Formats: sequence, structure tokens, C-alpha cells
Amino acid sequence: MAKQFGVSDAALDGLKDPGRHPFPPEQKAAFLFADAMTDGPGHVPDPVYQEVRRHFSEAQVVEIACVVGLFNYFNRFNNALHVEVTLTDPDVIVRLVEEAGAVGIAVADFCDRVADILHQGRRYIRVGIYQRDKDRLVLRAWRGASSPPTSPGLGEGDAGVTGQSGVTRVAGPLLVVPVLVDGAVVGVIEVEGDRPAAIDEEDRPLVERVATVLAARLT
Amino acid sequence: MGRLSRLRPDQVGEDIRSLFETFLRERGNIPNMFRTAAHRPEILSTMLAHFRAVMGPGTVPVALKEMLAVRVSRINSCDY
Repeated sequence: MAKQFGVSDAALDGLKDPGRHPFPPEQKAAFLFADAMTDGPGHVPDPVYQEVRRHFSEAQVVEIACVVGLFNYFNRFNNALHVEVTLTDPDVIVRLVEEAGAVGIAVADFCDRVADILHQGRRYIRVGIYQRDKDRLVLRAWRGASSPPTSPGLGEGDAGVTGQSGVTRVAGPLLVVPVLVDGAVVGVIEVEGDRPAAIDEEDRPLVERVATVLAARLT
Repeated sequence: MGRLSRLRPDQVGEDIRSLFETFLRERGNIPNMFRTAAHRPEILSTMLAHFRAVMGPGTVPVALKEMLAVRVSRINSCDY
């Protein structure tokens, strides 16, 4: 959600260790306050409070303390009851993909947008979208920590195997779906979930529907 | 798997259903936490009202509040 409110990737990454990221002083003060309020019983030392108060009004301090308190409440509720991370509804994902493809967007940009939608909406740790070029697959979009093979041959690697067979494959957390036009492979979508059983009964039909939308643009 | 069941829109009363539909429209999902809390509709409706009052526009920039939420959730090892 934070990204929708203009928080950059760099800032989100910086939140892993706010002391080492160049946040403005008032933000840094608020993060130190949040850390102190969240750690252990939540004692906030005077210097930490005073630094927050130097930058924020009394009303603002109330608001900051409420945000920190609220998320401690929500986090503890979710952790205690094992509430799972919420994924975007498959129908909504398909609609977002259709909307992205409807605006005369270049193929590479469209694939990039689709990768983004799947990566964020379903929390896949890896998303690769390939377009077929004769006997190879050309990578059009990628999300994930590791770097992918940029141009696997048909039959090579996870994407290449499905590129050759034209059949959806589920292997543990991995789901590889062909993009088909009249039965011929024109591309491949591969996604990987964050744990062995991450691919559930919603994921396969979802990615196959996305492949159908993509098919019209990859020919 | 969550320890408690998550209620679907067709399993909740009219008031909560309209709140759920707003979530679907605004963000494409109904957070599992709220589907779980829906077992106690009176608590859920004030929980949501409080969430909006705290996280919506106020005296502190919304972006800073979102970053605070991410930071706290990270310390608590809770995915937000």
C-alpha cells in the first residue's frame, strides 16, 4: 500500500535500517520513536521523545503514536492468529492486465506491467515473461532476486521446457504457463511462490487467464 | 493456513458486506485480517473506522504514516 502513497522503493528498502538511509531528520525521529515504542514493553527514552516533539506538534505526536500503536495491535492480532498475507483477487488481477494492454502500450512495457501486477498482487518471489523467437525464448520482463537466463532455448530450463511442450507445469512453488495462439507457443509466463505449497487452486487458472490476455500481444 | 476462518462477503451481514465491497473496489482485495475479524461485526466496524481515522489524511503526511506502518510491521516480522 505504501507505494500508492508515493513512498519510493529506495525509501521502503531504507526502512530495513532507517539509521543508515538518508531520511529527512523529522522522519528519522519518527522512526526512532516507532522503534522504541515497538521494542519490548515500549518505553520511549526522553531524548527520543524530545527529538520527535522538536519536529512535530502535540496533535501530530498523537497521530504518530496512534499509527505505531495501531500497527502493533494489528501485527500482534495477525501473528497470533496466523492470518495470511492478503492476495489480490484473481478477477481483479485479470482486469488490471486487460486495462494495461488496452492503451496501445509497447509489448516490452506491457510485459513489464504484467510482471509488476503479478509480482505485487500475488506476492510471487519470481515472475518471468518470455516471448518466443523461433527456437528461443526472449525475456521481456523479470521480477525477482536472482538474475534469469535471458534467452533460453526451447527445452532449456523451466521456461524452455514449457516453451517446447506447450503444457502448463506445476513443480512445488513453481508454475510455468505457455502463452498459446491457435495451439502454438508464442511465449511463456513463469512464477514462483514464496514457499513449497504457495501455488494453490487459484494460481493456475489465474496465470492461464493472464496468458490468454497476453497472447493477443505476443504474436 | 490461518487459525480462524475468513468470512466471505456472502457470509456477513449487510453492513459489513458494504464495507467489504468498498475494499474490493478501492484496493482489489479484502484484507484477511478484516475477513477474520468479521466474526465480531461490531468490533470490525469500529476497527475499520479507527483504521481510517488514524491512517487517512490528518496532521501527519500519509506517506510518513505508511512508512511507520511498514517499519513497525517489519520489527514485528509481520508482512504488510
